[in-house]
Amino acid sequence: MAVMPSHTVTGLEARSLTVSRHGDDGPVRILDGVDLRVPGGTLIDVVGPSGAGKTTLLLALARLLPGVEGALALDGEPAAAIDPRSWRVRVAYLPQRSALLAGTVGANLTLPWRLKVRAEVAPPNASALRAALDRIRLSDVALDRDVARLSEGQSARIALLRTVLTLPRVLLLDEPDAALDEESAEQVGLLTREFVDAGGAVVRVRHHRADGHADRRLRLFGGALSEEAS
Amino acid sequence: MTTQLAGGVVLIGWPQLALASAFVLVTGALALWMQLGVTKDLAVAAVRTYVQLLLLGLVLRWAFAADRWWWVVGILAIMILAAARIILKRAPDAPSGLFLAAVVSLSVTGIAVTFAVTGLVIGAEPWYSPRYVIPIAGMVLGNSMTGIALSLERVFSDLDSRSDEVRAMTALGASAWEAAHPSIRSALRAGLIPAINSMAAAGIVFIPGMMTGQILAGADPLEATKYQIVVMLMISAAEIIGAVLAVLMSYRRRFTADGVFLERGFRP
Repeated sequence: MAVMPSHTVTGLEARSLTVSRHGDDGPVRILDGVDLRVPGGTLIDVVGPSGAGKTTLLLALARLLPGVEGALALDGEPAAAIDPRSWRVRVAYLPQRSALLAGTVGANLTLPWRLKVRAEVAPPNASALRAALDRIRLSDVALDRDVARLSEGQSARIALLRTVLTLPRVLLLDEPDAALDEESAEQVGLLTREFVDAGGAVVRVRHHRADGHADRRLRLFGGALSEEAS
Repeated sequence: MTTQLAGGVVLIGWPQLALASAFVLVTGALALWMQLGVTKDLAVAAVRTYVQLLLLGLVLRWAFAADRWWWVVGILAIMILAAARIILKRAPDAPSGLFLAAVVSLSVTGIAVTFAVTGLVIGAEPWYSPRYVIPIAGMVLGNSMTGIALSLERVFSDLDSRSDEVRAMTALGASAWEAAHPSIRSALRAGLIPAINSMAAAGIVFIPGMMTGQILAGADPLEATKYQIVVMLMISAAEIIGAVLAVLMSYRRRFTADGVFLERGFRP
């Protein structure tokens, strides 16, 4: 058995993340030197008032924002050494809405493998997709169903499933269960937990009360993270 | 009557020109009476028509007489720069720094299509013959300008309205090209519609301008038709090539070097 060096850092690490955007009266600082460590196998919830910058934090971690200051590392490897697109493949951000594109459920689930970045990777076949849909209790959703005919809860589950199927190291979920019916919210929570139990790292922005899946709860306020008082 | 025939062309005298202006005066009076609020614009536009076209007439007369290649090239350059300015005005949401893209796409299509028509189809001698090059370049650039302006306006407004989708695709690992592709397609379609419409409606809904002019100038209608077909196909090509070049040269400006779409608030 291989002996792992004790200093090996797994998961996602952010140091002094600072983000500003242009406001009406000059630049507005949204994140002000945020430090965060998300080891593999942990789920961290980030809560905070609307407009506190929770989405901005996820976007900065996914390298989906321009002009972010600070340092990011994945499994000990600095972000500067990783091509941004490969980074996004490994650190997957799932937006709160509009994650699915017009078209069928099948076309949406296989979209990631039609992108050049995964040209070398074989897409999951129809039976694998079927099995995945069964797993999140969407056995009644046909692969050729138009996504316009899905409920909000079904869309949210399928969008999360698609991201999980791409096998990222880190999942960044933006209010994954906001505005979902109870069953969908539960399925989204279970799928997320399964991903964590398999060694993945998750940062989840939430408004809801704790659902028992999170290992830590952090509060984002005034551009900085702090441990949420329980 | 002061009108006279000269080689089949009915010459218009100054009194006739003044008579035509009377119609504009009537329209202006009507606009004033109905409080349309456009009287001033109408007056300015009418005066501009007079001044600009008379100036054009003088410049063309002088350019035809001078018959020098550098004058022709200079006039083309001025037309291209003016068209590029109009394009940028018509796409107010477009990122800055598109002037070069507009000038390059106008120049490439303008020069290629104009000289293809004057050199290969008409066989003008010498190659810069101002009588052929300047009017044809005017038509080519005018249409190319419309196609470029429409498609540039569309590509950036479509990217803005699809910004959530663009972000979702980028998050899945899409490149700027992959994420922008649906907007690029929609922009090119928008740019091509006027060309397709005018080709489809030509001869049924309207008599194209150049053919009208040649018929009024006494040309045989069938000969005028052949000319018009050549010009129509060429200007449609100009519109299409111009739109494609301009969009491909500019969509990337809404993305960072890392392939991230620049949302409002993060634009330089």
